[in-house]
Amino acid sequence: MKAKLSLLFILVSASVIAQKKQLDITGAAGRYEGTLSAMYTYAWQLGAKKKIEIGIAGRFTSYLGQNQYYITAPAKLTSGSTGPLVIFKENITANIDTFLIQSPQVNALNIAIHLGYQVSSKISIGFNIDALGFSFGSKKSGSYINGVFGQQEQAKPTGFNALLISDNDLGSLNSELFLKYQLKETWGVKGGLQFLFTEYTTNTAVQQTPEPNNRFRDKSLLFAFGLYKNF
Amino acid sequence: MKKLCLIVLVIALSCGEEEATPTTPIDDNFITDMATKINMGTVMGVNHSVSGTATIYEKNGSYTLVLDPFQSQNGPDLKVYLSKDVGAKNFVRLGVLKSTTGKQSYALPATINLSEYPYAHIWCEAFSVEFARAKLN
Repeated sequence: MKAKLSLLFILVSASVIAQKKQLDITGAAGRYEGTLSAMYTYAWQLGAKKKIEIGIAGRFTSYLGQNQYYITAPAKLTSGSTGPLVIFKENITANIDTFLIQSPQVNALNIAIHLGYQVSSKISIGFNIDALGFSFGSKKSGSYINGVFGQQEQAKPTGFNALLISDNDLGSLNSELFLKYQLKETWGVKGGLQFLFTEYTTNTAVQQTPEPNNRFRDKSLLFAFGLYKNF
Repeated sequence: MKKLCLIVLVIALSCGEEEATPTTPIDDNFITDMATKINMGTVMGVNHSVSGTATIYEKNGSYTLVLDPFQSQNGPDLKVYLSKDVGAKNFVRLGVLKSTTGKQSYALPATINLSEYPYAHIWCEAFSVEFARAKLN
């Protein structure tokens, strides 16, 4: 009985699940900032018409900016708590200080989650978001600014990246809302919005109130355009 | 192709120029005759063409930095700082430079200990570039 059920499951699975492998290269730009990213996605196409895609991906993102204002990162300071409900909480502006970096450059390698939907034979839409990984980049000088007082300090990209909830996130994480258009049998173009967190950790805890802090985050909304190839 | 042009246009429009300092000469209405001079120094350009005099005055218990005369090369995001050290590692931001030319005054925070901040700077904040400095004696 068990063997028959297993065989049935395999047969059903084979009929409704297909695999898809895709590489895409994306450039994104905003005001004085931009990224170049490469992503390899392995997705399962589900459903009778195989329109729904769920997958995992590996993504490398290289971010370059100019004169970017990083703000206090930890949720405990920005929202006053660290629970899952921080996403609904207003920022506590009194706790948020600024770290201005003249030329931030962060590289991040992350495992990402991919969700997609095949709208037609040529058009698909989807969303992806980095979940776990690490970042690297050179040390940068910046200005910590707290009201009228300031201090020069050095900082480097926060090493560990993890998708948690809202400001609980750690490190540098990329996400995209995209539309893809298939031009040829194996390749096409994509466009959309990229929402990127980059994070720096200062050498010392430059922020002292309401408690010591050395993590500062920049949230960037960028216009993205890229190419993809199916394998 | 039309869509591609639209995307490029949106990206191009999102990248603007950094705002420069106004160049219209100003004359702040700070009457120095009614104030006590605390310390002063000559403003000297640091790899930039800037000149003038920086003076700190006390009036009714409040301190004010006055740049008079003052003339500066223009630049983006110019700010007026007081600092504890020559490299402005620890600084107080007095505000945006009001103009590249003319007499201008900047109120100091009430909590500041003047003896700890012997330098005045004209500082391009966005690019972290020092335009000028004065040692206040």
